Amino acid sequence: MALPAPLRASVTPTELELIASEQLVEIVPLVAMERTAFISGAYGPLRPPSKCKVPIWMATNLKLKKKCRIVPPDWLNVEFLEERLVQETTGESFSEMPFRFAEVAKVLIDTAPDDFPNPDKIRSLLKDIREARQAKSREGLSKLDHSELSLPNLCSMEINEIRPFFIRAMGVLIDIIKDAQPQQDIA
Amino acid sequence: MPDAGAPHILPQDAAEETSYQQLMKHWMNERHAPDILPGQEVLLGKLLDHVRKQSDDVQLLRADPDSSEEEHFRIMLVQTEIERVKFVVRSYIRTRLHKIEKFARFIAATPEMHERLSKAELEHAKRYARLVEYHFNQTVLQSLPEEQRSLEDNVPFMPSMIPQPDKLRPVFVHARQACAPVRLPDGSALTMQKGQISLTPYYVIEQLLLRNEVELV
Repeated sequence: MALPAPLRASVTPTELELIASEQLVEIVPLVAMERTAFISGAYGPLRPPSKCKVPIWMATNLKLKKKCRIVPPDWLNVEFLEERLVQETTGESFSEMPFRFAEVAKVLIDTAPDDFPNPDKIRSLLKDIREARQAKSREGLSKLDHSELSLPNLCSMEINEIRPFFIRAMGVLIDIIKDAQPQQDIA
Repeated sequence: MPDAGAPHILPQDAAEETSYQQLMKHWMNERHAPDILPGQEVLLGKLLDHVRKQSDDVQLLRADPDSSEEEHFRIMLVQTEIERVKFVVRSYIRTRLHKIEKFARFIAATPEMHERLSKAELEHAKRYARLVEYHFNQTVLQSLPEEQRSLEDNVPFMPSMIPQPDKLRPVFVHARQACAPVRLPDGSALTMQKGQISLTPYYVIEQLLLRNEVELV
């Protein structure tokens, strides 16, 4: 088939990682490279030890060959995440996080745990934040109706997680309304 | 861009979109939209030319026997990116192909759909629709009584025999800019602010999507 069945309903987390990996991250190169033209733009020149911005996919590629160190983004550290966790557990709304934070954090910490001061602590904080937010999105389900649900600060991976269920649930509500007022043309 | 003081929450926001970023956006829109969106032939052509050029450059550099280790390294990175772009191109086209085959008979019967497809896609849709009808006729329908042979019956309480896009299906939509107000099914108006994320039926935001004011996530 043109599109494999598991891909039809939603996108996969790996595809989201692919998209997130186009974002730029700072690295400290350990090898020199001239400025090079890529399809997504020109990157470089790499001149150790000055920092340089490259896409995440390139950073992980270099990192795996031990040719760079990754500079953690300024939201991916223990202090920032601890503060967000407090906001998340005390406030009612979702706290503001980068749209693709889950993907970026996973890719970076998995490939370069040694570039983070305290990778295990960061991992566990991310997990706590994720759980706190999951609980909130489940509560959001009670506000679901047939017309619109606003989801401020929800992130890409979280949307993907709730997508099948929320779409199905709203679809059922739409059907009920449609059957209740057949004379009104809603489409 | 992202250097301003506080942790940047939305990087790559102000920067101009490259062709590749545009394609990724269209890819995701296509994946989430229940309907077939207008094809991006010009964009695809531009990107494929770019891929071809990069591949040719790689071939040239490879043929050079005295290329240094640094050169190998650049070649490897360039090739990695080529593969990534190809993956997105392939997935985008396959997503469209899937919908085209699913709605082939609807497309063949609906002239408004034609302009959203490329020439090759439209040709495929029509041939596929003919093939399916021929197959149904040959295998089953011709042995049925005359009045049960139609492929276009409208039976009350049954789904249409010609599958068509379900525009009532909800989608997650992300506003790329402040949007013009749209009317919700409950009668109220929805004016999306930049960055707002909503779950709403597809037909509500269809026009915003075609005008590139929102994207599906």
